Amino acid sequence: MQVVEKVSIKDKIKELVIEWETERLKEYCQLILKNNEATAPNLLKIIGDIMKFVGDQFEQEEIFLPELIGSAETVKVVIDEVLDPAIRATGEEKETMGKVVIGTVESDVHSIGKDLVGSFLFSNGFEVYNLGVEVTADQFISKAEEVGADIIGLSSLLTMSMDFQKQVIEELKKRGLRDKYKVIVGGSPTSEDWAKKIGADGWADDAIEAVELLKRLM
Amino acid sequence: MKLKKIEVFSKDELEAIHSASMTLLSEVGIKVDAQDTRDILKEKGAMVDDSSHFVKFPESLVKEQLKTVPDSFKLHGPDGSFSFEVNTNSTQFATIGTPVKIYDPTNKKGVRKTVLTDTIEQIKIVDSLENIMCSHVDVWPNDVSYITIHSQCIYQWVKNTKKPYGLGCLGRLASQDMMNMASIIVGGEEELVEKPRFVGFMNPTSPLHLPQIMTNGFAIFTKYKQPTIIAPEALAGASAPVTLAGLLTQTNAEIVGSAVVSQIFNLGAPVFFGTVSHVTDMRSGNSAMGSVEMGLITAGIAQLARFYNIPSRGPGAGTDSKLLDLQNGYERFQTLMLAAQAGVNYITCAGTYEATLVEALELLVIDDDLVGMVKRAMEGIKVNDDTIAIDVIKKVATSDKKGVNFLAEPHTRKHMKSELYMPRLADRSRRSTWQKKGAKNIIERAREKVDKILEAHNPTELEKNVEDELLKYMKKVEARTFDDYRKAEGLMVDSVTLTDGIEIKEEK
Repeated sequence: MQVVEKVSIKDKIKELVIEWETERLKEYCQLILKNNEATAPNLLKIIGDIMKFVGDQFEQEEIFLPELIGSAETVKVVIDEVLDPAIRATGEEKETMGKVVIGTVESDVHSIGKDLVGSFLFSNGFEVYNLGVEVTADQFISKAEEVGADIIGLSSLLTMSMDFQKQVIEELKKRGLRDKYKVIVGGSPTSEDWAKKIGADGWADDAIEAVELLKRLM
Repeated sequence: MKLKKIEVFSKDELEAIHSASMTLLSEVGIKVDAQDTRDILKEKGAMVDDSSHFVKFPESLVKEQLKTVPDSFKLHGPDGSFSFEVNTNSTQFATIGTPVKIYDPTNKKGVRKTVLTDTIEQIKIVDSLENIMCSHVDVWPNDVSYITIHSQCIYQWVKNTKKPYGLGCLGRLASQDMMNMASIIVGGEEELVEKPRFVGFMNPTSPLHLPQIMTNGFAIFTKYKQPTIIAPEALAGASAPVTLAGLLTQTNAEIVGSAVVSQIFNLGAPVFFGTVSHVTDMRSGNSAMGSVEMGLITAGIAQLARFYNIPSRGPGAGTDSKLLDLQNGYERFQTLMLAAQAGVNYITCAGTYEATLVEALELLVIDDDLVGMVKRAMEGIKVNDDTIAIDVIKKVATSDKKGVNFLAEPHTRKHMKSELYMPRLADRSRRSTWQKKGAKNIIERAREKVDKILEAHNPTELEKNVEDELLKYMKKVEARTFDDYRKAEGLMVDSVTLTDGIEIKEEK
């Protein structure tokens, strides 16, 4: 009986995730928690499996980018607003692949590529703190310290802003925190060589590669 | 709005071509070899000279007979589950050509002779493609005895596809075999007539000649109302005037004259107003199928077809290249796009190169992608409140989210598949991803798709009685000799020229 119910919860959540029904998914998860039909960690696991399914479908080209990101956004709202608070209320820690602070460096306002990386990481079970664009070295480091991040991801789309990636690494060194975090860089003008040159721990060419890179680094 | 059709003639020019063709038909006529065809044309009011075989068509006869030519028809697959319509406004895509060789990178020459396995594989690939609607006996099974090719191919067709099929109407005996076998497959002649399965090919020989073997077969195809392509293959400067207007006047007379013959054979029989005409290369005397003039000729025929309100057929994806190279790519796309823009209703030659003499299954799957691009281009830009999307722009631009984009907007999801064509084989990945996936070129990626399709494609199981009857029929065909065919066609000569220049000779 229990098994049958679990399957139906999963199907229902899957339908709402795929249809981007954020509000309805929130209500549904709240109801499940209220009726003690499943715990918040159970629901997180179910959602993780669904996002893995969605990610696989994306890689098989059965669905496209908007469908993946839209589902990820729906899930993110539900986790932030319903499941995380529920887990915190029990005093437990959430299971995660790793905590990532991500942003576009100073003097650069390009966000789409970095947001894609964020979505892909999130869909693959990472906890993602997306700081947006024109993020200073201090903002990156403060956030990483605050949330206990494992990884800092620096994005840059302009040859002119690339140098700020280096400055974040220099600032980490200055504060004696360089070894505490893995630093990854990315963006159109960057390259593996550039990453090595500035002393980053890794570089990826696109969002799919970024996920593989982070899984290796963790 | 949708892309406008290219027109190569003004209204006056169109009238001038039409009028000159009518003059040709009424004053010179068409040489019709078959006595029985001449006889029924005479009965209907044509002027026949039995010594020269020329039949003159008075304009009144032409006008009267063209009235009954259908402006649309449907083609069905063997089991009837798949069908598509051809009409004066459609843009459908198919194979056709005369590939006697196939791309083979392991061969020193890059090609090898085609065999029945290749014929079967091409049928299977077309069956699996989204945009290529019909295959034909084009990949030539060199390992099959000439007199049984039609029966062997029909057997393979019913086993390997849900799509219709095309065959040359070469002679009454072979054409009758085609109808008999199709009737076994579909459960009777009535069903075959009502829901046609075959596209026929009837090629007048330029200038102004209808060979006996072609009208013999044409009579059978029209009797069973299988849509038949009337397609002269005139070469500007060799078998037609070098001037394109002259070529079009001549071939227009050939097509219109043949259309009249079709209606006299069987009122309401569906035909395509077709062309494979192109030009002669004046440096070598070779035909040039990838020439830009072929596009113009095709556009001219499409416009004439609209003038007579008959669905048109013309070649696209044509190239003279001997390699899978840039020339192959630009010529095939140029001719394909021009044919579509010209408003050709049935565009052919997918999968071929070297003036259709060579097949590459890789090109066939690439053409499926190219056709997708062409279809998208023809759709043009749709403009309405929903597509202008002012509310979406406002919402995204003023969002307080970090970073703004339209990717996760419901509007994007709703419209992305209709607005953006997503080619399957073109590589758009970042260099490192492309390298990681083996740094493959498009031919390698196309080959992978071909292999994947062939691996997954299973033959259809026929009902036992159908299978038995077909095999029995094929035995009957096998037992014939070449002379049986000659007798049936009234052709007691040493050899006879086939539609596209291949000579049939008795096998020794």
